[in-house]
Amino acid sequence: MDYVFPNELNVTWTVMIVLYPYITGLVAGAFIVSSLYHVFGRHELEPVARFSLVSAFVFLLFAPLPLLMHLGHPERALSIMVTPNFSSAMAGFGFIYNTYLVLVVLEVWFVMRGQFIARAKGTGPIAFACRAILLFNLDESAETRRVDHKIATFLAGLGIPLACLLHGYVGFLFGSLKANPWWSTALMFVIFIFSAIVSGISVLIFHTFVVAWINGWEVEEKCIRALGKYLWGFMIIAVSLELLEILSIAYKQTEEWEVLERLISEKLFISYVVLQFGLFSLVPFVFLAITALVPLGKRLTHALIWLASVMLLMQVLLMRWNVVIGGQLLSKSMRGFTSYFPGLFEREGLVVAAIIFTAPFLILWGFNRVVPLFPHAVSKVRTGMN
Amino acid sequence: MSKYRHAVSVFVVLGVVVIAAAIARNLAIPDTFGEFGHYRGAAPAQAREFPLRHVGADVCADCHDKQKSLHDKDAHSRVPCETCHGPGAEHVKAEGDAPMRRPTAKSDCLVCHQRLAARPGSFPQIDADVHFAFVGVKDPSTPCVSCHDPHEPLYMDRDVRTARLHPAIHRCRDCHQGTMAEGTVKPERHPVTFECNYCHPAIVADFAKRTHAHVACTTCHLYFRESEYAGRIIRDADPRFCLLCHRAAPFRSANAPKTIDWPSHRDKVASGPTDAKKGCVDCHRDRIHTVGTPVRGAVKGAQL
Amino acid sequence: MTRNISRRDALKVLGAGSGLLLVHCGPIKPPQGEKEKSDYDWEKHSYAYVVDTTRCIGCCACMRACRAENDVPPGVFRTWVERYEVDEAGEVRVDAATHDDFVFGTTDTKVSKAFFVPKLCNHCKKSVCNQVCPVGAAYRTKDGVVLVDHDRCIGCGYCVQACPYGSRFISPRTHMAEKCTLCYHRITRGEKPACVASCPKGARIFGDLRDPQSEISVILKQQRFRVLKPEMGTQPNCYYLGLDREVV
Repeated sequence: MDYVFPNELNVTWTVMIVLYPYITGLVAGAFIVSSLYHVFGRHELEPVARFSLVSAFVFLLFAPLPLLMHLGHPERALSIMVTPNFSSAMAGFGFIYNTYLVLVVLEVWFVMRGQFIARAKGTGPIAFACRAILLFNLDESAETRRVDHKIATFLAGLGIPLACLLHGYVGFLFGSLKANPWWSTALMFVIFIFSAIVSGISVLIFHTFVVAWINGWEVEEKCIRALGKYLWGFMIIAVSLELLEILSIAYKQTEEWEVLERLISEKLFISYVVLQFGLFSLVPFVFLAITALVPLGKRLTHALIWLASVMLLMQVLLMRWNVVIGGQLLSKSMRGFTSYFPGLFEREGLVVAAIIFTAPFLILWGFNRVVPLFPHAVSKVRTGMN
Repeated sequence: MSKYRHAVSVFVVLGVVVIAAAIARNLAIPDTFGEFGHYRGAAPAQAREFPLRHVGADVCADCHDKQKSLHDKDAHSRVPCETCHGPGAEHVKAEGDAPMRRPTAKSDCLVCHQRLAARPGSFPQIDADVHFAFVGVKDPSTPCVSCHDPHEPLYMDRDVRTARLHPAIHRCRDCHQGTMAEGTVKPERHPVTFECNYCHPAIVADFAKRTHAHVACTTCHLYFRESEYAGRIIRDADPRFCLLCHRAAPFRSANAPKTIDWPSHRDKVASGPTDAKKGCVDCHRDRIHTVGTPVRGAVKGAQL
Repeated sequence: MTRNISRRDALKVLGAGSGLLLVHCGPIKPPQGEKEKSDYDWEKHSYAYVVDTTRCIGCCACMRACRAENDVPPGVFRTWVERYEVDEAGEVRVDAATHDDFVFGTTDTKVSKAFFVPKLCNHCKKSVCNQVCPVGAAYRTKDGVVLVDHDRCIGCGYCVQACPYGSRFISPRTHMAEKCTLCYHRITRGEKPACVASCPKGARIFGDLRDPQSEISVILKQQRFRVLKPEMGTQPNCYYLGLDREVV
C-alpha cells in the first residue's frame, strides 16, 4: 500500500523550479550558438548570431523570476551572495548568474555597438537612452570596431564554460542529492548541459521561423540547415545520456529500483516513456536525420526542422518536469507516491509560469524595435516560387 | 581618441559596480556570523527563547496533590498529567483560571486503549463491544469514566511501583499480534512460558470449580510488566475493584454479573466498625477460590 | 602618449579596487570574548535520542504535545508515528495517524506482525541539510542539535529535498524551513523535549551523552541499536531499538 512521509504530501519544488532550469537552458543553448559563430567561425550561422546572443541575454534577465516566485522569503534572496555557504550547489547561483549576466551584457554591448550607435544618432528619448548605454562614446572607427570584435570574441569564448556552469550547476544540484534516488546520479550535470543546448538551438530555430513568418522575411537556408545538423548532433548526445542514465538504473536494480520502476510505469508513464522518449525524441530524431542526410526541397526541410524544434522544446521541458516533479512524487519512504498539479492562479501556478515564459519573447520584440536583431533580413520574393 | 577608450570606460564602470557591491555585501553580513561555523552566532541563543508550554507533573502536584497521589499509585502512574490534560503553562500562569482539557469521552480513552494489532500485546487494550459484553454494559455509548476513575482506573489497594515482583506472565497476544483463536494449543517447540498452575496448582484447580472460573487469573491479579523477565503483581482487595463488574447501574445489561449497591450492601452485612473496613473477598472467598486466599477475620454469616 | 597612460591609469584603479575586494572578502569577525548573556554552556552537553519501538503503543501523545509546545501548523509534522502491519502473506501496510487529531484506527489486515515506529529529525552529525543550505541558515549546535536560523532562511526548500528522512518541511505559516528542534528551548533549561515528557510508555528517551550515568548512555553502551538509512552516511544521532527491516 502506498505510504508517503507526512511532510512529503506537498511538493516543495513546483513548476517554477521546472521553469528555471528550462530558461537557463535556453540561455545556455542560445549562447552556444552565438559562440559557435563568434569563436569557432561558423559563418553559416551569421544570420542568427546577433539574435541568439540577445535571446540569451533576455532569457537570462528572466531566469531569476521563477526562483523569486518560489522562495518563501524573496526579500532575503540577496543573502545568497552575502553569506553564501559554498558547500551548497545553490550558493553558486548568485555569483555564477551575476558573473554570466555581466559577461553577456558586455558581449551584447560590444557586438551590437554598431547598431546602438546608429540608433543613438537620432533625437528623442530612445536615442538618448542609447547614448547613455554607449556611455556617450559614439566612436565607430574601424580600429574601434576591431577592438570591439576582439573583445567580443574573447567574451564569447569565456562565456562558453560560464554558460555550461550556469546551467550545469543545476544538474549538479539535483545529481548530488543522495537522498533522492531519482535524482542522484553523476550524469545529471552533463545531461542538463546537453539538453540545455538542445533547447537553446530549438528555441532559436522556432523563434527565427516565427519572426520570419510575422515579418514576411526569407529564412536563410544554409543557416537553418546548419542549425538543424547541430540540433541533431546535440540531441543524439542528450537523449543518449538520458537513456544511459535510466538503463543503468534499470540494469543495476539496486534496492530503490522497486519503487523507481513503479514511478516510471505508473506516475510518469505518459510524460516520461510515451512523450519524452517516445514521441518527442524519436520523431525529431527521424526528422532531423532526414533533413541532415537526405536532400529535400527547401519548404519541406524547413518544415521538418521547425517541427523537430517544437518537439524538442517539449522534450526538454518534459525532461525538466520529469526530473524535478518526478523526483518529488516519489516518497523517501520508498513506499509510495504523492501527486502534484500546479494551480492556475497561485503564485507558483501555471498562469505565472506562462507569463514568465512568454515575457522574454515580448521583450525581444521590443528590443528589436530599438535595435534590429536581423539587420540583413530579406523579404520573401512574392512571385510564389521557392 | 584611443581605440580602447570605450572599452576602458565600460570596464571602469563595471569595476566600480563590483567594488560597490563588495562593500555593500560586507556591510550586510550579520555581526555574529561565522563565530561558531557558517551561521549566525546569535542564532542558538535565539532558539532558546521560546516559551515552555508544558510544565511537568511535579508542577501540577503543587496544587493538585490529591489527584497526583492517587494517580501515582495506580495503573496510570506513568502517564504524565499533560498527556491527557494538555499543556499546563497557561493554566499555571493564570493560577488556575485558564481551564485545562478534561478528556472524559469514550473516544478519549480509546486513543490508547483501543485494541490495535500493532500495540504490544502486554498493553491493556480492548475491543469496546467485547469488553462491554464481558462486564455487562448494555449501552455502547457508555463512557469509560462511568466505572473507571482516570486517576485511579483500577482502584489498586497498594502502590503499583512497590508491589510484589512476579516472574513474567505471558499471554498469547504478547507475542502473537494477529488474532489468536481461543483454545489454540501450544505446539511442542513453543518457547517456555509460566502458566499459573505450574506454581499454583491447588489454587487453579479450586478456582476452576467456582463461579468466576471463566475469568482469567490476570483479570483480578493485575500484572504490570516491568521488564522481559519480571513484573509487579497485585491482588486487588479494594472493594471498588470488584465493583467494576458488580456495581448496580442503569447501563448494566441483562446478562451482567450479579450486581449490588455498595455501600448499602456493606452496611447491611457489617456488624461492627471492623467489618466496615473489610472487602468483598473477606466474605466471598467461595466465589473465587478458597485455597490460598487469606482470611482477615470472618464476618457473621460468611460462606467460607 | 595620453592613450597609453589612460589605459594604465584605468588598470591601476582596477588593481586597487581588486585589492580592496580581496581584503574585504571575508566576513567581519565579531569582537573576541563576546559571549551570550546566559549560564548555559553548550560545550558541556552532547544530546542524543533513543526510540524504543518495542514500547510504543501508537497513542500519538507525542505528536499532540509537540504540536502544542511548538505551535506547529496543521498539515506539517515535526514528529510523527508510523504503523507497520505485516500480514500473513508477508505484505506490508504502512500508515501514519496524521488526520483526525492523531488517532490510529482499526484495520482489517490479517496481521502476523505489527508495530509502531515514532519518527523525528535525526539531528545527524553529518547532516545533509546543513551542507546544502545556500545561506548558512541551517546549522548544528555544539551540543548536537540541528537547527534553522529563522532570521536568515530564504525558504528555497533545498534542505527539505536533501533530508533522507522527510523530517523537514516548509512551514505554511512562516514560509521557511522548519523541523524538530529537540525542543531546544526546553532541553537547555534541563527539561525534556515535549515528546519525551508526554510519552506514557517511555518509548522516547532523551539524554546527555556527556553524563555516563544517564539512561541514554547506558542504553547505547549495552543494547543493540540501529539508525535509519545508515547507507546515506549522515550519521544520525537518533538511535532505534527493535527496528524491523521494513522500516526505512
